[in-house]
Amino acid sequence: MSALYEVNNVTLDLAGPAASGLQRLLPGNAPRLTILSGLSLTIGHGEMLGLVGESGSGKSTLARAMMGLIDITDGRLSFQNRTLESRADFIRVRQGAALMFQDAVASLSPRRKVGAQLVEPFQINGVPLPEGGKTAMTMLERVGLPPSLAQRYPHELSGGQARRVSVARALALQPKLVIADEPTAGLDVSVQAEILNLMTGLRRDMGLSFLIITHNLAVVRHVTDRVAVLYLGRMVEWGPTREVFARPRHPYTQSLVAAEPQADPRKRRADLALKGEIPSVLARPTGCEFHTRCPLARPRCAAEEPRPRMITPDHMVRCHFAEDTKTETQGGNHGTELEH
Amino acid sequence: MSAPLIKVDDLSIAYASEEGPVQALRHATLEARAGEAIGIVGESGCGKSTLASALITLLARNARVTSGGVQFGGRDILSISEEEKRKLRGRHIAMIFQDPMTSFNPVLTIGEQLVDFQGQREGLSKAEKRQQAAAMLKRVGIADPGRCLDRYVAELSGGMRQRAAIAAALLMAPDVLVADEPTTALDVTMEAQIIHLLRELRRDYNGAIVIVTHHLGVVGELCDRVYVMYAGEVVEEGSTDDVYHRPRHPYTRALIACDPANLHEQTPLLPTIPGRLPDLVSPPSGCSFAARCPQASELCRSMAPPYVEVGPRHAARCHEALA
Repeated sequence: MSALYEVNNVTLDLAGPAASGLQRLLPGNAPRLTILSGLSLTIGHGEMLGLVGESGSGKSTLARAMMGLIDITDGRLSFQNRTLESRADFIRVRQGAALMFQDAVASLSPRRKVGAQLVEPFQINGVPLPEGGKTAMTMLERVGLPPSLAQRYPHELSGGQARRVSVARALALQPKLVIADEPTAGLDVSVQAEILNLMTGLRRDMGLSFLIITHNLAVVRHVTDRVAVLYLGRMVEWGPTREVFARPRHPYTQSLVAAEPQADPRKRRADLALKGEIPSVLARPTGCEFHTRCPLARPRCAAEEPRPRMITPDHMVRCHFAEDTKTETQGGNHGTELEH
Repeated sequence: MSAPLIKVDDLSIAYASEEGPVQALRHATLEARAGEAIGIVGESGCGKSTLASALITLLARNARVTSGGVQFGGRDILSISEEEKRKLRGRHIAMIFQDPMTSFNPVLTIGEQLVDFQGQREGLSKAEKRQQAAAMLKRVGIADPGRCLDRYVAELSGGMRQRAAIAAALLMAPDVLVADEPTTALDVTMEAQIIHLLRELRRDYNGAIVIVTHHLGVVGELCDRVYVMYAGEVVEEGSTDDVYHRPRHPYTRALIACDPANLHEQTPLLPTIPGRLPDLVSPPSGCSFAARCPQASELCRSMAPPYVEVGPRHAARCHEALA
């Protein structure tokens, strides 16, 4: 499978809060915050890739960088085998790839009718409407909405309908890739299943690729082919979804999987898989970023940055002890000896 | 077994609207005993939020009680005066809201608000109230309570905010604690921590906890008993184990089936519940789930089903519940 979109060793720094005003003009080492660090991933044609991690792990920033909405500091992005460098390159990307924003209702203008907003992608990109006045209706039909919805305002839509409208808008220019940022957040389970089925259907019928950004692991488990796990802007594990969920090798992935609430009261967990919160990028831990919360951390983890290791030809883990972490995920809590 | 601490009895609530009254809650019955955690679960529009606001006597201005009431402390708390309701809220029945960002005042520090919340407590100086607040923050797992008291809500992380909101609700040691989607705004790891915290707090809390959520996982982890709601009605109630392992209402079964967390095999096509919620301005005369139910018969469409007891403290509103 050749890559449709390739992210190669991408780093993204932002000016730190101290570097404001005149300080910015001074030469030398202005403090920088590393938001993304050495990230590489590929999305194949017709592939569904999941990107998971807690809030603050850099998931949405990566999506924005891929669309050229925020500049990367280092590394290389390429779409359809062409490296993206100039603004014009990214304009091309935005015609071939579409971003579905996290809050579907907020991503629509409250003042304009749904129909008018559906045809905006054509107007912005100077593309003639494929079916003239009927374009909006056709777009609504494609995502399973009644054509009458074109006359409504966004606040008149339900959460699931607004989400479908954003899918329709993303599909307007017949992209090859859709980047969906939390496509099911805030939806009821039955509506969530409908949206996911719509996306898998579009992938099947149109050969679309998807990058699904979410912290809902159950969603990732069912719809994606491969999954990448992000922690504080760094990829800690990456491989085939089935394998990563069955045998997660990074302690962070293991904790994430173990943290999922179980609807079955017989499977209640007695212990807490992961304590504390994701550290701030202002105080990035040394060595392995995860060592401050890792149940298996040893002195080496604080001192030395782990290198990516290929456990199998397509399963990467960034952990010093990846060979020792074969334990199953429902292990419970081993954090006590590290508390103090 | 102890008597129910709070009891919802045949409660119906309608909202005034241009199209006519929306019957958001219809003949709901529910009880919570001391030391018990119950869950109210259902999808958007099922009436769970209306029921929650009735429990804490905070009904919207256009809401009207059309039958029944909420029994607490030997009286119907929906028919008492506004003044008496105010005395009840916070002191006897407290609520944890879904979004702590908007339930705290952004221009007052957490400390100022936690002191204010103890306004009804007699004979305590302001300094003592502040101490109480700090002790409560410590109890909900905030490492540096003194510093947290001086912060504004915007300065706290999502998890800290929710902990502070739980501290605020527990400050007055209420008899009933209502939590509306307490983990919806959080990450999976923070969600697990808040669930863990609520479970821990239960150990020395003698009141009743009511968790309102659309997330079956939260109920599974926290609740002893669960009420499943659909289109304004309680369609099934029972122990969490019974409802999860032996669901008797087709809607409960469908709801459990379409949660991807319950599917063990990877599947490209997730189960859904086809169809839409009925219009609550004119609810169907038969079973409200009949239009979407795979087993619905002519009887289901024409006659409202009885609430059938299918086991000890386990009941379902379905003609076929015993089949």
